[in-house]
Amino acid sequence: MMRPRQKRMTRGDLLLAILLLLVALAGLVRMASAPAGARVVVSDGERVLYTAALDEVKDVDLEGPLGVTRLRIDAQGARILASPCPLKVCMGMGPARRDGELLACLPNRILVEVVGPQAEEDYDLLSR
Amino acid sequence: MTCSAADPQELARVRRKIFLALFAALAVAVHALEVLMPTPLPWFRLGLANVLTLVALFLYGGRAAWTVSLTRVGLGSLVMGRLFGPGFWLALAGAVCATGVMILAWRWWRRWFGPIGISLLGAVGHVCGQLLIAWLLLVRHAGIWQIFPLFLLMAVLTGLLTGWIAVVLLERLRQYAPFREDE
Repeated sequence: MMRPRQKRMTRGDLLLAILLLLVALAGLVRMASAPAGARVVVSDGERVLYTAALDEVKDVDLEGPLGVTRLRIDAQGARILASPCPLKVCMGMGPARRDGELLACLPNRILVEVVGPQAEEDYDLLSR
Repeated sequence: MTCSAADPQELARVRRKIFLALFAALAVAVHALEVLMPTPLPWFRLGLANVLTLVALFLYGGRAAWTVSLTRVGLGSLVMGRLFGPGFWLALAGAVCATGVMILAWRWWRRWFGPIGISLLGAVGHVCGQLLIAWLLLVRHAGIWQIFPLFLLMAVLTGLLTGWIAVVLLERLRQYAPFREDE
């Protein structure tokens, strides 16, 4: 009745793990090699709530449906210091300073985006 | 009770029910522990409760996996006081996608993937489901997919860990007679 002991990790498992790791790492490398951003744009997904230059050091309080999300802009970039959301994913995302990088607090509907110097026209698209 | 216990089919059915209930209860407990446990990143969780879904899937099949994962999300959120809160919908979307992907992968590709591979696919499904629902319900912004690589990396690491635990658990369980005759 004893079945031969199966291998714990099949070849398919191993290949899949390697493939997924490569995809994830490729994505991270692509993001890390983006040029530095110039401005911070905060929106709720539809409307722009706030924008500032990335080289001004300051703390900003952003009002969302759950309460106040505190954003800090300093030499490291923009990061979320405090948030009323339950999971705090946004705080765990650390600082964003490269073009296209994003901090999102989904429950509180705060979307912090770092954009390059040439992205002025995009604001109109967002704030339409 | 004595007469039904003599019928081997009935015995298997009752056993299956009892073990499924145990798996679901364990999943709820593990889920609660994970939510309460402090982690380096506040939102980061290992997804250990998924071990029970995996074990149910490999022992009893797709419906059992649905039972365990949906019970886990529903009761787990109720116990933690987050039922129908914003985090709940993300958790539900993640669990539904993860379970769906795992069941399909198990049905179609069981020959190539063991529990570790299925767990990896489930973890990826979890991330996709969460981001998809976040994109649909919360932020209609393509930039949300920027988080994907980081989440994917985490999913692969935690998926490997939970898959490994499920493999070891399955090995242990299959040493006992009630789990041997299935499949």
